[in-house]
Amino acid sequence: MSTGENADAVNCSNPIDAAILADYWLAVLPGPEEEAVEEHLLGCDRCGERLREIIALAEGIRSVAREGSLRMVVSDVFLKRAAEAGLRVREYAPPPGGGVQCTVTAEDDILIGRLAANLSGAKQVDLCICDERGVEQFRLPNIPLHPGASSIAYQESITLMKAAPTLKMIMRLVTFDEAGGECLLGEYTFNHTRSLPGPAAW
Amino acid sequence: MDKEWSDGELARRIGSGTDIQAEAELFRRMAPRIRLYGLRHLRDAAAAEDLTQEVLITTLEALRAGRLREPEKLTSFVLGTCRMAVLDLRRGSQRKERLLQQFGADLQAPVQPSMPVLDHEQLTRCVQNLKERERTVVVMTFYDERTGADVASFLGLSEANVRVIRHRAVHQLRECMGAAV
Repeated sequence: MSTGENADAVNCSNPIDAAILADYWLAVLPGPEEEAVEEHLLGCDRCGERLREIIALAEGIRSVAREGSLRMVVSDVFLKRAAEAGLRVREYAPPPGGGVQCTVTAEDDILIGRLAANLSGAKQVDLCICDERGVEQFRLPNIPLHPGASSIAYQESITLMKAAPTLKMIMRLVTFDEAGGECLLGEYTFNHTRSLPGPAAW
Repeated sequence: MDKEWSDGELARRIGSGTDIQAEAELFRRMAPRIRLYGLRHLRDAAAAEDLTQEVLITTLEALRAGRLREPEKLTSFVLGTCRMAVLDLRRGSQRKERLLQQFGADLQAPVQPSMPVLDHEQLTRCVQNLKERERTVVVMTFYDERTGADVASFLGLSEANVRVIRHRAVHQLRECMGAAV
């Protein structure tokens, strides 16, 4: 049983929003807001517990990002940081309309496909991952584009590719005209050869 | 202890003499909160632990000496002490050593609440299931450690927009991980 102001510490009557706690952890709150959050946290175990969940989430995201399993467009800062952290980055850059022979080894940590295209003026660009026949298997819609970029860096899951058999993968960058029709910006073929010992796992 | 003392009662009990039970309660109650403050400002578990000890000792010293004039404001006092102690720690002050020598024998092992353990596979799925921009904002923020301005510049968005995307992503991830948003 609890009484007085310490009852609030257990059953918070005015909990801080999780996103604000994340901002607090990231140190991006304005001064007065940060002070109010700190005053609250020093008297509230419930919100303290939620802040611990946010810290665990932040650490978890770092860990997930570090292991190279996310299929996503990454920034050059991401690649620089990975290299500085001692991760081995393997990058292939087939020309638009062309292909490249590729593989992954046990020592690789990050796998990147560098896709060059004329992206100027494109309001929305989707990245389509297709099988060897060109049939779409997976799509990253509305990928983030750095203004002025002439290529994107797509991270393929290293976990997936280490388990993959020898295969051909086709990637397409597409944008949309005013009527909503798809326009091809570039097509890229990755001829992956399995070089790891043992059978493929999928 | 059948019921928890309010902060004011706790401070008065410690100030009225050597109340071991009240001092133990002070440690139990405040240590995890001070440690979180330390983690946020010092970004280091060992430094946060040092800060916790120092703040608890300073608080105990003040309460025993009756220097806290408004016992109900114990939390504000602890927060003020935290701020000063962080400044001291950053300056590499020797004050900690002096306090530890004086009060070290009275120190009780503070409670160590463990950080929640997340299901890594589930979190990977949750991050992968975010929309592209949300995933990029989350990774650039928490892994690349880029500022809101950097992320905004990379994505060609405003900082306010990045903040909205980050907030939405945090809520979605928590929901996906089974936490109450």
